Amino acid sequence: MTEEEVINAEDLDYNFRYEISEKVGAKSLLKCIQCGICSSGCTVTEYVDLQPHRVVASCLLGLKDIVLSSNAIWTCSLCHRCTERCPKGVDYSFILALLRNLAVKAGNCPEEYRGTIQTIHDNGYVVPYTGGLATNIDRRRDRFGLPKFVPPDLKEIDIIMQETGIGNLLDKALEDKEGDK
Amino acid sequence: MEYALYLGCTIPLKMPHFEFAFREIANYLGLTFKEMEGASCCPDPVATQSISIDTWLTLAARNLCLAEKMGLDILTICSGCFETLKTTKVLLEEDKTAFDRINSVLKKIGYEYKGTSDIYHFVELFSQEEYLEKIKKILMRPLDNLNVAVHYGCHLIRPSKILQVDHPERPETMDKIIEALGAKTVAFAGKLECCGFCARLKEEIGFKLVEDKITELKELEEEVDVMVGVCSACVSQYDRKQKLLSRKTGKVLDIPVLYVPELMAIAFGIEPDKLGLKNRSIRPTKLLEKLNI
Repeated sequence: MTEEEVINAEDLDYNFRYEISEKVGAKSLLKCIQCGICSSGCTVTEYVDLQPHRVVASCLLGLKDIVLSSNAIWTCSLCHRCTERCPKGVDYSFILALLRNLAVKAGNCPEEYRGTIQTIHDNGYVVPYTGGLATNIDRRRDRFGLPKFVPPDLKEIDIIMQETGIGNLLDKALEDKEGDK
Repeated sequence: MEYALYLGCTIPLKMPHFEFAFREIANYLGLTFKEMEGASCCPDPVATQSISIDTWLTLAARNLCLAEKMGLDILTICSGCFETLKTTKVLLEEDKTAFDRINSVLKKIGYEYKGTSDIYHFVELFSQEEYLEKIKKILMRPLDNLNVAVHYGCHLIRPSKILQVDHPERPETMDKIIEALGAKTVAFAGKLECCGFCARLKEEIGFKLVEDKITELKELEEEVDVMVGVCSACVSQYDRKQKLLSRKTGKVLDIPVLYVPELMAIAFGIEPDKLGLKNRSIRPTKLLEKLNI
């Protein structure tokens, strides 16, 4: 956002702060005093377009679109120093996770992350464990004399993903795969 | 006390040598556990939580249910798993609505989450006085001359309000374990810095963080023989990125990085050949020479 850019009051989403704070883990959003400790200790502070305290301020102001389209919400390294050091107990890392959830719902899901979810869906793990890959992994484990690995029932993983509302991300992926064939 | 051993997925599937080292030392320390058959990925605190907090909590609660059915507390061997499982337990304790919502999903697959199992990282156990004494007694090959850089990693100690393992700015649990092996832990400014693995969408962050930390270690007056970590992501990040950085920058970044149980196994007298120490970018050749192995 450049200095000259003007945002009209009617474009602000005053409910945005409550959309976030209604979640138990993110209630703390409303306590922010803009001291900036989160930003001063942030691992990725020099890489983001909005520093942590400015993300929080933007949420409070109702700048929903700016927050959800910022690179800041996806650049976090999850070091949790912001949450740890906040003198008001604002759980910024959880709030950020929530903002990423909202961005995904709005249709902005990074392919790298979607791919991980797909791998967990198809294998139960973040590591592919089917067919020849599974045979190789089992052989390596055997060499170390490790016990046989018993994978989860993938139907259960599928039901959980569908029921918690991310089935649409997976369906799309399956269609894409079929399209490739 | 017996535990339900939660292996996660990265270690058992990609780094079985870490699991082997852990099982060996656990055996020496008289720790007993049962396998958690049918456990899934914890799931990972980066992608899954970012996409849907509810999916993340429900998959984690399913894993916790397995331990509850066994009537045991969980022991984790990776910080990512530890963070996910422990945070889930704490969040569901605080948020009754989420607790009910997640249970209504679990009911569909025949599970019920109660919140009766606790979650521990092995660092919590091994840093207790009782285990430190055992470690000192088992020691076959004291690491007297070694200078060790301890990397705590973020997901073992922060947020401390939830994880409650150690002091978030002045942690000492891992140092205690390494010192019990006879080694010296070095003090350095970047000790608590993040490895950058979780900033997955901007890899330059990880490269910068690895370069900064290793460069600092190389410039210390005392020569650092090895860096240790307790998280599969941190350990592989420093191992792999050092080699890539050396190639790219021409700097000599060559500090071997071991998983704490590997260094414990060496000190317990287990033959390095058995530990698969060759499975990494920076082989600990000099380290073993210094120990006359």
